[in-house]
Amino acid sequence: MDAILSGIKMFFDTFGSTIMLPIIIIILALALGAKFGRAFRAGITVGIAFIGIGLIVDLMWANLTGVGQALVTNLNIQRDVYDVGWPAAASIAFGTQVGLAVIPIALLVNVVLLLTKVTKTLNVDVWNFWHFAFLGSLVSIATDSLLWGLVAAAIAAAFALFLADWTAKAVQSFYGVPGVSVPHLTSGPGVPFAILVNWIFEKIPALRDLKADPDTIRKKWGLFGEPVVMGFIIGLVLGILAYAFKVPADKTGLQVIADILKVAMSLAAVMLILPRMVAILMEGLIPVSEAAREFMQKRASGREIYIGLDSAILIGHPAAISAALVLVPIAILLSLILPGNRVILFADLAVIPFVVALFAPLMKGNIVRMIVAGTLELLVGFYLATSMAPFFTQAAVDAGFALPENAVQITSIADGFLWPGWLFTNLTKLLGGAVGCLILLALLVVVFFFFNRNREKWEVLAGAPKPEK
Amino acid sequence: MEGKKRILVACGTAIATSTVVAKAIEEALEKRGIYVTIRQCKASEVPSLAADADLIVTTTPVATDHGKPVIQTLSFLTGIGKEAVIEEIIEKLKD
Repeated sequence: MDAILSGIKMFFDTFGSTIMLPIIIIILALALGAKFGRAFRAGITVGIAFIGIGLIVDLMWANLTGVGQALVTNLNIQRDVYDVGWPAAASIAFGTQVGLAVIPIALLVNVVLLLTKVTKTLNVDVWNFWHFAFLGSLVSIATDSLLWGLVAAAIAAAFALFLADWTAKAVQSFYGVPGVSVPHLTSGPGVPFAILVNWIFEKIPALRDLKADPDTIRKKWGLFGEPVVMGFIIGLVLGILAYAFKVPADKTGLQVIADILKVAMSLAAVMLILPRMVAILMEGLIPVSEAAREFMQKRASGREIYIGLDSAILIGHPAAISAALVLVPIAILLSLILPGNRVILFADLAVIPFVVALFAPLMKGNIVRMIVAGTLELLVGFYLATSMAPFFTQAAVDAGFALPENAVQITSIADGFLWPGWLFTNLTKLLGGAVGCLILLALLVVVFFFFNRNREKWEVLAGAPKPEK
Repeated sequence: MEGKKRILVACGTAIATSTVVAKAIEEALEKRGIYVTIRQCKASEVPSLAADADLIVTTTPVATDHGKPVIQTLSFLTGIGKEAVIEEIIEKLKD
C-alpha cells in the first residue's frame, strides 16, 4: 500500500496537477463508460481550467498583497490571511493527491451507504466532491499521510450524506423541490448555529416577532449582490482603507485615486473572470459526473431515494439572497474589528448565500434570524480560518499553485471558515491519523444511529413541517 | 435574417449547476439543428440581464417581473424528464 502511495506521490510531484488531473479525469471517464473522444476532451478541458485559474489567482494576489501591506503600514491592521474564494479552494482541493482520488472514493462510500440503507441520498453532485477532497487534504497535511487524508475524505463524503438526509424534508417543503436533498458541506454545517439562534429568538418575546421583508431588500439592494458590483465596491473600500489615510509625500492626490480605482477594477475583474475559469473546470467534469450519475442510479433503484444536488439550486430564494446581502457589510466590518483575526475577506463574500441557505426552512425564511445566525457562524469562522490558514496554504502549494514567498497565507469562507475543517485537522493533528479518523468515524456513526432511530424528530428540528397525527 | 435566440441560464453561482444546464441545452438543441447563444449568470443577476435574453432557464427561484419567459427545472441535474424540458424550451423560443 505504502509503495503504491509513494509511487503516486512521485508521479504527482513530477507532473503537477495541470498534467495529473487531466490524466485522472480521462481514465475515470473511460472507466465509467464515456467514449474516448469525450473523455479526452474532458481531461484537456480540466487542465486548461487549472491554467486559467492560476492566471486569475495571480492577478488577485498582486492586488491583495499591495493592499494588505498598505493596511499594515498605514492603519496598523495586521491582516495577512487572504480570502481567495471558493473557486480557488475547489481547484486546490481537486489538485491535491487526495483530490485526484476523491471521485471514486466518494462514489463508493455513497453506493455502500445506500445499499446498507444507512442513507437515502444519492449524491450526483460530483462537482461538490471537492469539499471532501478539501477536508481530506487538510488531514493529509496535518498527519503527513496520504492514507489518512483519503480516509478523512471518505468520512467527509458520508458526513455530507448525513447532513443531506437530515435536512432533506425541510429543504423539500420550504424550497418546493420534491425528492431532492443537499449534500453540500458549505451549507449543512451551519444548521446547528441556526437551531441555536432560532431557539434563543423563540425564548425572548421582544425578538420573537422581529421581521424584515426579503423582497424589499432584494429589490432595493439587489444590485450589490451582483458579483461585478460587489467586487468593485469591496475593492473600493479596501483601496480607500489601504491608500487614502496616509499618503506618502511623493504621491499626488490623483495617483492615490488611481491606486484605489485600480484595486476596485481589478477585484471586479476577478469576481467576473474567476468563476468563468471555474466554469471551464466544471465543463470538463460533466462527462464524469454524467457517467457517475448513471452508474449510481443503476445501482440504487427500487426504493425512496433523494437525489443529492448542489445548494446552488436553493439560493435564488429571496430569503437566502436578502440575508446574504445584509451579511456582506457585516462580514467586512467583522474582518476589520475582530481582535486576533488575521483574515481579510474578499473573494468569498459571494458565497454567503450558501452559508445561510439551509437556515431558511427552520427559521421560516425570517431573515432577521438568518442574519443573526449567519453573523454568529462567520464570527466563529474568522478564528477557525485564522487557525487553519497554514494548512490551507500548504494544500495550495501541494496542488501546484505558485504562492509568493513572503509568508502570507490564504483561506476562503467555503470551507475554511467552517467547523468541520477545524475539527478534522485538529483531531487528526492532536491524536494522530488513526485515532483521529476513528473518533470522527465514531461520531458519524453515532449521529447516523440516533438520526435513523428517530428521523421525524431530527427532521422537524432542521425545519421540516411537523407530521400530521 | 433573424439573429440567434439568446438563452440566459441562471443558478446560484453561475458556475456549477448552470454549466451543466447550459451544456445540456446546447447539445440537445444542436442535435435538432437549432443554434442558440447561451449566457450563464447568478440568480441575483437575472433582473439586470433579462433584458438581453429571449428565455431564462434556471435551477433556482429567480425574479419573474421582467416580461421574459422563465423555465425553472432540475431535470438536467437529476436526469429525469430532460426531453420534456427540451421540448418546452423549443416551444418557448418559437414565440
